[in-house]
Amino acid sequence: MAAGVAAWLPFARAAAIGWMPVANCPMPLAPTEKNKRQDELIILNVSGRRFQTWRTTLERYPDTLLGSTEKEFFFNEDTKEYFFDRDPEVFRCILNFYRTGKLHYPRYECISAYDEELAFYGILPEIIGDCCYEEYKDRKRENAERLMDDNDSENNQEGSMPSLSFRQTMWRAFENPHTSTLALVFYYVTGFFIAVSVITNVVETVPCGTVPGNKELPCGERYAVAFFCLDTACVMIFTVEYLLRLFAAPSRYRFIRSVMSIIDVVAIMPYYIGLVMTNNEDVSGAFVTLRVFRVFRIFKFSRHSQGLRILGYTLKSCASELGFLLFSLTMAIIIFATVMFYAEKGSSASKFTSIPASFWYTIVTMTTLGSSLGLQKGVMGAPSLLPFNEQMVGDTQHRTGRYLTLSAFPSL
Amino acid sequence: MTDTVEDEMEMATVRHRPEALELLEAQSKFTKKELQILYRGFKNECPSGVVNEETFKEIYSQFFPQGDSTTYAHFLFNAFDTDHNGSVSFEDFVMGLSILLRGTVQEKLNWAFNLYDINKDGYITKEEMLDIMKAIYDMMGKCTYPVLKEDTPRQHVETFFQKMDKNKDGVVTIDEFIESCQKDENIMRSMQLFENVI
Repeated sequence: MAAGVAAWLPFARAAAIGWMPVANCPMPLAPTEKNKRQDELIILNVSGRRFQTWRTTLERYPDTLLGSTEKEFFFNEDTKEYFFDRDPEVFRCILNFYRTGKLHYPRYECISAYDEELAFYGILPEIIGDCCYEEYKDRKRENAERLMDDNDSENNQEGSMPSLSFRQTMWRAFENPHTSTLALVFYYVTGFFIAVSVITNVVETVPCGTVPGNKELPCGERYAVAFFCLDTACVMIFTVEYLLRLFAAPSRYRFIRSVMSIIDVVAIMPYYIGLVMTNNEDVSGAFVTLRVFRVFRIFKFSRHSQGLRILGYTLKSCASELGFLLFSLTMAIIIFATVMFYAEKGSSASKFTSIPASFWYTIVTMTTLGSSLGLQKGVMGAPSLLPFNEQMVGDTQHRTGRYLTLSAFPSL
Repeated sequence: MTDTVEDEMEMATVRHRPEALELLEAQSKFTKKELQILYRGFKNECPSGVVNEETFKEIYSQFFPQGDSTTYAHFLFNAFDTDHNGSVSFEDFVMGLSILLRGTVQEKLNWAFNLYDINKDGYITKEEMLDIMKAIYDMMGKCTYPVLKEDTPRQHVETFFQKMDKNKDGVVTIDEFIESCQKDENIMRSMQLFENVI
């Protein structure tokens, strides 16, 4: 708008009539324009296509090529026109900018060609109008990303990597097993030992054979030494791997905090704690619990399986929806458990001795698992949980249960 | 229902074509070339051929960015819009400018009186003058030297009335106005300066 407003200058000056009679002193002279020429048409010849416009139109933007005296360098004396050896299509947009005050970006135009033309004519891209600015920015970003990708792939293909330190090579080997044969070997070896460790955990508990006295013994106790040796070997490998990773990590603090390293530590801790602790009766119970943590070794597979990692990311990104599901289930559990407790309070043979005691029944019923535990005996209990009653486990309930669960993950 | 929709569409695409160039040249005191320049600028800002008050205010605020010129622009618009239809066509624009820039002193003073007389009843009251004065001071903004006080407009109005109101009846008529202005040298000198504006 600023472009054409200059034409209204006479009107603005004439409006001064308003305050002249009330002014205390006479009006000063209006500034006269030096070198005031009559407005003339100028011809712009862009690669053969002739554009014509008024001189004053171009002079609206004096800090561009066409608006300043810079265009005199392109003046052709013989034909009395300004000749530019540039793209006439883009020039159309540029000239429209002078005429209307708005710079548009044509969609069919290549973004880098357009930028070059703007730079030639001395026009900043920031003044592109709102109508075209989004498109321009998007195209520019895509172009920049594409250039970056090209550069990256070029660097990768070059092969002449800058020499990395031993520590950095080791870290790269750990993170990406395909970089060298040694890394691949290491990858498969650790994978094998994780599998061995998990299988031994499982086989330990299988009963195999009896001893005199007709008592079934699990394999773990029968071949205790063998299993202990296997366990030691696995833990050795895992410890060595963890220490090597810790050594190679570029940021040790960040490495220690990462999920994978916590899993590693939790997987090998029970063994060391078991070594340290004696066969004390009091703590052996706690020790047994600790051995459960050996099952965490299975999570070490997530380094080897990208699918597992993706599952982890998915759960993390749906964390809020999962949290909400948990929260609403908890609310419903509390409500119904309370109702059940008070409904069955009258009956003496009721198994719902307290509200927390009725939690279990409510959970089992709500998740449509159903159980024979704590069938309601009281009169009021039956109708209150009628929709969830196990006798009525049918299609509707299954569908409702699944619908509730699925609706919490709208983004999946 | 359909009628109102059509009406709205008609109003949105109103196109006004001005009278022929020769006619305007005869009616106003501009030459053909000056009219061409004026029209090109006018049509650029208002492609539909008429200016409404909003556009008027916007254009004016670009010339006076320091203060708030909307009230003064409102009074100006009413002065330009001689037939009071809410829009200023190119003819109104040209006739107004012709008087202001090329008219006689009498015509200019007449136009100024018309501007001050907000309700167009032939008298300028103190309230009308106060409104105009406040509008002018608003337009100047805060960056004045010397700094203006709160009641400066009121005092200015008092001075004005003392000068203009000959029979002290509280209002200024057109004759009192023209007579007083013609006696004032400053005002006469200022009027001459309008000649070479275009």
